[in-house]
Amino acid sequence: MAAIRTQKEIRQRAPIWLGILLLTNLIVMTLDARDSVTRQRLLRVWIQALASPAQSVTSGASGAGSNLIRQIVNFRSTAQENEVLKQQLATAQLQLRNAEQAAAENTRLQALLNLKEQTGYEQVTARVIARDSSTWFNTITINRGSSAGIALNMPVVTGTGIVGRVIALSPWTAQVMMITDEKAAAGAIVGQLGGSGALGPVRGLGESGLIEMRYVSGLEKVEVGDYILTTGQDGIYPPGLTVGEVAQVKSGTATQSHEILIRPGAKLDQLEEVAVLLYHPPQRPAPDQTLPNVDKSKK
Amino acid sequence: MPQLKIAAALALAIILQLCLGNIWFPLSYIDFPLMVVVYIALQRHAWHALIVGTIAGLAVDAASRGLIGAGGFSKTLTAYLIYFAATRVNLENPLLRIPVLAAASVIDSAIYVFWHRSLGYPPTRPFMQTMSYRLIATTVVGTFALYLLDSLFTERARQRRSFASRRKGARRGRGLSRPSRR
Repeated sequence: MAAIRTQKEIRQRAPIWLGILLLTNLIVMTLDARDSVTRQRLLRVWIQALASPAQSVTSGASGAGSNLIRQIVNFRSTAQENEVLKQQLATAQLQLRNAEQAAAENTRLQALLNLKEQTGYEQVTARVIARDSSTWFNTITINRGSSAGIALNMPVVTGTGIVGRVIALSPWTAQVMMITDEKAAAGAIVGQLGGSGALGPVRGLGESGLIEMRYVSGLEKVEVGDYILTTGQDGIYPPGLTVGEVAQVKSGTATQSHEILIRPGAKLDQLEEVAVLLYHPPQRPAPDQTLPNVDKSKK
Repeated sequence: MPQLKIAAALALAIILQLCLGNIWFPLSYIDFPLMVVVYIALQRHAWHALIVGTIAGLAVDAASRGLIGAGGFSKTLTAYLIYFAATRVNLENPLLRIPVLAAASVIDSAIYVFWHRSLGYPPTRPFMQTMSYRLIATTVVGTFALYLLDSLFTERARQRRSFASRRKGARRGRGLSRPSRR
């Protein structure tokens, strides 16, 4: 019964306590509101002083803790951010690749420019725009044609070696048969012109990517790594251009010629820019078809 | 000593309220002192609920930039309203705590902002948005926190449950005895 009475008393007195507490709060609140300058109150000082150790601990922990929570909660935004960063990385990689390509192109063009100075022939720089679409032949198409002064059978070169010759023309494009084609051939010599007697024609071997050199006397000294240059006797390539280097030699004898395989100097599978030499081989006198005992002056 | 347990729970709630916002700001939307106030008010301890409401409100006010007393006023009034409701309606069902917590959060926010605006200190954060965040955070976390407080005050809860079952039994006994007497 005592407990019930107490509960009843509490219930009856609760509104009074409520009024007192609310009034207290109201007075504190209005006192606080009156001082709009400092807002400095004893209660505030004490509470902040008491709370400061815990707050400083949590502030110290906030570095790692907030990062962890932020990472967990912001997982979705992190994923989105990750996507954006991936895109930016891809863009940067593309730009880097472009820059590398530009640098490589610059090097190649520089080599072509040097080639012009070395050979002394006029040249037309062209870009490889296509490879043989049938995949049966070793030909490329370049973006310069007869309008640029290119003619049939003109030699096509890079800074590191010959590429082939022009076999078809349009005003704006030209088709080039590469030196590795089985139908391609050139006159060549092992070593320097005049310093070697190892002369012979070279011709392509097709898919192997190598060039074969024939009819070199077995008495001539030929070693792997020797340079092969053009002789200019074929009427297509000017003398002194690099064909490649000896990759393999099967030595011949006095009665049998060497079997020489040449690795082309030009990187034929990575061609991007080439130069067409505006080379016109010297005209050969037409062979005299008449009989030697005919008196030409009578005609 | 239930008073000590209440004091400990209140101190912990105030510390959490003052500190968690430093770690991650959205955690400050969770009103831990209000959960304690609601829990004690639901136990129908009027005096405890009113005092706890005042102390909790004043403590949080003092540590904040707001008016000292505004939070005390709002939490005290909220505590009384919940106590008033709990003495007239059975709010023992745990599911009913959810709307009670939500209502307490709304009332507390509304009174707090009302006094600040009335006294010329309007809060800088938008009312509806902040109140909504507080409502959601306090209700969600409070639902679990009240279970923890149940375990803290388990002796009292056990007694209350036993009294309730005894009352039920007594009523049934009276109800069954009447027909037999007839």
